[in-house]
Amino acid sequence: MRLGVLYGIVLGLALLTAGCNAMPGDPRSGPPIPPDQVTDFHILYNRNCQACHGANGRNGPAIDLANPEYEALIDDTTLRRIVANGMPGTEMPAWAQSAGGMLTDAQVNALVAGMRREWARPNAFAGGTPPPYAQNQTGDAKRGQQTYQARCASCHHTPAHQQVTSPVYLSLVSDQMLRTLIIAGRPDIRQPDWRHDTPNGGAGQPLSAQDVTDIVAYLHALRNPDEVSAAPLSNAPRR
Amino acid sequence: MSRLKRIYDWFELRLQLEGPVGEVVLHKVPRDTASWWYVFGSAAFTLLMLQIVTGILLALVYVPSGAQAWNSLNILNHQIPLGWYLRALHGWGSDFMVAVVFIHMAQVFLFGAYKYPRELTWTVGVFLLLATLGMAFTGQVLRFDQDAYWGLGIGVFIMSRVPWIGGGLVHLLLGGPVIAGATLSRFFTLHVFVIPGTLLLLALVHVWMVIKLGINEWPMPGRLVRRSTYIADYNKLAHEDGIPFVPGAFWKDLIFSGAVVAAVAVCAAVFGPYGPGGQPDPSIIQTVPKPDFPFLWIYAVLSYLPPSMETPFILVAPILMIAGLLAVPFVAGEGEKSWHRRPVAILALASVAVAWAVFTNLATFTPWSPHMNAWSGDTLPVRYLEEATPLVRQGAVIFQAKQCRNCHSVGGHGGQRGPALDDVATRMTVDQLRFKVVSGGGNMPAYGKNLSPPEIEALVSFLETLHPKGQSPAIDAAQQAVENAAASPPGSQGGTP
Amino acid sequence: MSQSDSPNPPSAGTEIKPAGEHTSDQDNPAVVSRRWLLLKAGIALNGLVGVALAVPIFRYLLGPVRRDSYYNSWVSLGAADNFPIGETRLVSYRNPFTRSWDGQTDDIACYVRREGSAQFRVFAINCAHLGCPVRWFPQSQLFMCPCHGGVYYADGSRASGPPERGLFTYTYKIVGGELQIDAGQMPTLSNTAKLVQIATPGKDGDSSCRG
Repeated sequence: MRLGVLYGIVLGLALLTAGCNAMPGDPRSGPPIPPDQVTDFHILYNRNCQACHGANGRNGPAIDLANPEYEALIDDTTLRRIVANGMPGTEMPAWAQSAGGMLTDAQVNALVAGMRREWARPNAFAGGTPPPYAQNQTGDAKRGQQTYQARCASCHHTPAHQQVTSPVYLSLVSDQMLRTLIIAGRPDIRQPDWRHDTPNGGAGQPLSAQDVTDIVAYLHALRNPDEVSAAPLSNAPRR
Repeated sequence: MSRLKRIYDWFELRLQLEGPVGEVVLHKVPRDTASWWYVFGSAAFTLLMLQIVTGILLALVYVPSGAQAWNSLNILNHQIPLGWYLRALHGWGSDFMVAVVFIHMAQVFLFGAYKYPRELTWTVGVFLLLATLGMAFTGQVLRFDQDAYWGLGIGVFIMSRVPWIGGGLVHLLLGGPVIAGATLSRFFTLHVFVIPGTLLLLALVHVWMVIKLGINEWPMPGRLVRRSTYIADYNKLAHEDGIPFVPGAFWKDLIFSGAVVAAVAVCAAVFGPYGPGGQPDPSIIQTVPKPDFPFLWIYAVLSYLPPSMETPFILVAPILMIAGLLAVPFVAGEGEKSWHRRPVAILALASVAVAWAVFTNLATFTPWSPHMNAWSGDTLPVRYLEEATPLVRQGAVIFQAKQCRNCHSVGGHGGQRGPALDDVATRMTVDQLRFKVVSGGGNMPAYGKNLSPPEIEALVSFLETLHPKGQSPAIDAAQQAVENAAASPPGSQGGTP
Repeated sequence: MSQSDSPNPPSAGTEIKPAGEHTSDQDNPAVVSRRWLLLKAGIALNGLVGVALAVPIFRYLLGPVRRDSYYNSWVSLGAADNFPIGETRLVSYRNPFTRSWDGQTDDIACYVRREGSAQFRVFAINCAHLGCPVRWFPQSQLFMCPCHGGVYYADGSRASGPPERGLFTYTYKIVGGELQIDAGQMPTLSNTAKLVQIATPGKDGDSSCRG
C-alpha cells in the first residue's frame, strides 16, 4: 500500500514536471562561448581589466578609466593602441594576440567601444580646454621643478621616498602616463585635474600646457638623479 | 481464469521457470536480514538498469565522432525535446550509482559479509566497483568537452609513466598519437560494449552467489565464523528463524530502489544535465580542467604528492589498493563479524572515509591551483588603497600585473596556493618580504630575475601596508636596537621605512 | 498466487529428463573411446582456430602502437620572423597525423620562445606533470598550470609545484625562413627521446622516467 502511494507520488511528480516545460534543470543557456569569441564589454572588462583599473573603472591601483576627462582626452586610435599593444614603460600589458596577448582584434575593439559607451560624457571638460594628450612642446626641467614645488608639492610631500618624485616610482611609470594623470586627474582618489581645483570644489588656477610639459620634463630628469642636483632624494630607500 | 491458467501452463511447460524462480523467491533468509541496511545492493542493480535504459536512449542521438560528439550533445541539450532530461538522468544516475556502490561496499565490509563462504562474492564485487568507476570515467570522456579532453590527457600522462611500454600503452589508449577521433571511438566501445557487458555478467554472477549462499545474517558479537561449522549454522538460523525472501525482505529493496530512482529523477529535473563544457579544441587553453565527482579525490591526491613520489605512487598505489581490497576476505575470512568486536576494520573504514571526504572536499575548491584570471579579474579592496602613496599604489599595480594574485588571495579573492596576504606585513619585515619575493622558496617561484629592482621595491612597499588597522607591521628588532644604540634618528635608514 | 498447492504441479509429470541417464564405460573419461577422442579433437580444432584468429585480432588491436617516426613529421609554425626576439608566443598547428573525423582535436597549441635570431625554444602546451595546458604570463615571465599548480620559468625549467621536470620542448629547424617543429604526438614522459631535456636547476632531473 505504501508502495502504491510512493509510486503515485513519483508518477504524479513525473507527469507534473514533464507536463509543464519549466523544469529548473532545463539548460536554457546555449553552449559555452569560446573565450576568443566573447565580445560582451562587461565580461571582457571584468575578466581582463578590473584588477588594475578597478571595478567599474574606479578605485583601482591603476588609472581610473571611468574618468570622463580621461575618456575625452584620449582618442580612439591611441586608446586602442594602448589596449592592443600595451603601454611601454608601464605595467600595462599588450592584450592583442598580435602582440602576445590573448584577445582578438574584435575583443580589443569591443573594449574600446565599451569604455566609450560606459564612461565617456559629452562636454567632459565643462568648457575648459585641457593641454593636449600628446606632448607637442619641449619641456624645461628647471622650470618644471619650480612649477612642481609651487603647484604639486603641497600635497605630494610625505613620505618623500614614496612620492611621485621618487626615482623608484618614476622608473615604473612613463612620461605619457604622468602627463595623462596630471591633465585628467584621478577623481576617484580626489586628485585634481590640470585645472587644479581643490579637493573640496574650490576653483584653482589651471596648469598651462607648457607647465604640464615642464613638470613631466622635471620628473623625467629625476629618473636619473645625477641630472638634477636639487632633487630631494636623500630619503630614498636603501637598496 | 482457466483460460489464463491454460496460457500460463503452455509457457511454463516450455520455459520451466517456476521451479528455479520459486526457489529464489521463497528461499528462507534470516529474519534480521530484512533490514534497511541490506537494500544498497539491489539499489545498485536497479541503477544499473536505469543506466542501461537511459544510455540506450541517448545512443539514439549521440554521435561518437571526434568532430560531431560535442555538437550532438548540445543538440540533445537544446533541440531534442527533453533530450537534456535524458542526459541529466544518465548523469545523475551515474553519480548515484557510484555512491550507492561505495555505500554497499562499506556496508558489506562493516557487516563482515565478505567472510567465509562469501569471499568470491566480495572479489566479484571489487571488480564490479572497478567496472562502475570505469563506466564513470569513460562516460566523462564521451561527454567530449574540454574537461574530457584534458582528463584524457591526465590518463595519458599516467600511462606514459609505465616503464618500457609506456609509449605503446599511450598509443593503445588513444588509438593514435594524440587525443582525437580514434580516442573517442575506443572509449565509446568501452563505455557501450565492453564494460557494460562485463558489468552485467559480473552482476549476475554476484547476485547468483548471493542467492545460493544466502543473505549474510545480522552480525552478532560472539557469533564467530568458522569454516567447519558456518554453513550448518547459517542453514539452521535461516530455517529456525527465517522468513521467505519475498515478501519478507524484498519489499524494502523495492521501496528503496524506487526511492533512489525517484531521487535521480528529481535531481535530474532540478539540477539538469552536467555540461558539456567548452568544445574539445586543445588550442583553446583558457580552461581549468577538472574531473567528475567520483575522481575528485584522485585529483586532490595528485596535487599533494612531492615530485619524487609521483611516478612510484601513480604506478604502485592503484595496484596496492586493488590488491588490498581483494585480499580482505582472504586475510580475515573467519572470526567475528560484528563491528562491536572489529576495531581495526572500523578504524580502517573510518580513515578511508574521512580521507576520501577531505580530499574530495579540497578538490571542490582546489587550493593548490593558481587562479588564472585573478591577476586581471580580481579587484583589490578599496580600503587597502585609501591611504596609498604613489609608490604603494604602483606597488599594487605590480602586485596585480605580475600575477602575484594568481596564488595569493587578498580580501578573500585570488588563488589559495600561497598564503593570503591581507596581514602579511604583521608576519614579515620589509627585508624578509624582499628576500621572499626575490628568491622564492617553498612552493613559490623566485621572482628575482623577473622583476626589476624598482618593481621589487614598489611591491614590497605595497605589501608593507597590508596589515589590519591598529596592528603595526613587523619590525626587525635587532636592527632597531642597533639603530637606537647608534643614537641616530630612528627610521632614517632602517629596515622599516 | 502462481504457487499453487495442487498435488500435481505441472512440472512434476511433464519434465523432460535429459537423455542418457545411464552410465557406461564409454562415458567414463578414463576409458579412451572413440567419443572421447573426437571430443578432444573438437576442442583442439577450436583451440587451433582460436589461436589462428587471435593473431590477426591482436595485430589489429595493436595497430596504433607505432614508432615515433611513424607519427612525427616536420610541421611549419609560420615565418620565423613572426616571432619577436625575447618574447614567447602562443601558436597552434594542425597535427600532421589526422583522420577526417577528428574535428578540432587536431589543433594543437604550443609556445614559441625566440631567444636569438636563429635560437628558438618551442615548448609543448602540456604541463610535464599531468598534461594540462599551461598558460604563459609575460608580465611575470612564468608558465602556470591550472590543474595542480605547476609553475615554470621562461626557459621552461621547473619553478615550483608537482612537476618533476621542465616543460617538454620540440626539436625545431628553420627552413627557408620558416620555423618547423618535429611534431605529431602528445608529448609525454615516454616519448621524450624525441624531445630535448631541460635541466632542472638544483634537481637531479627526472631519473624516475625513461627518456
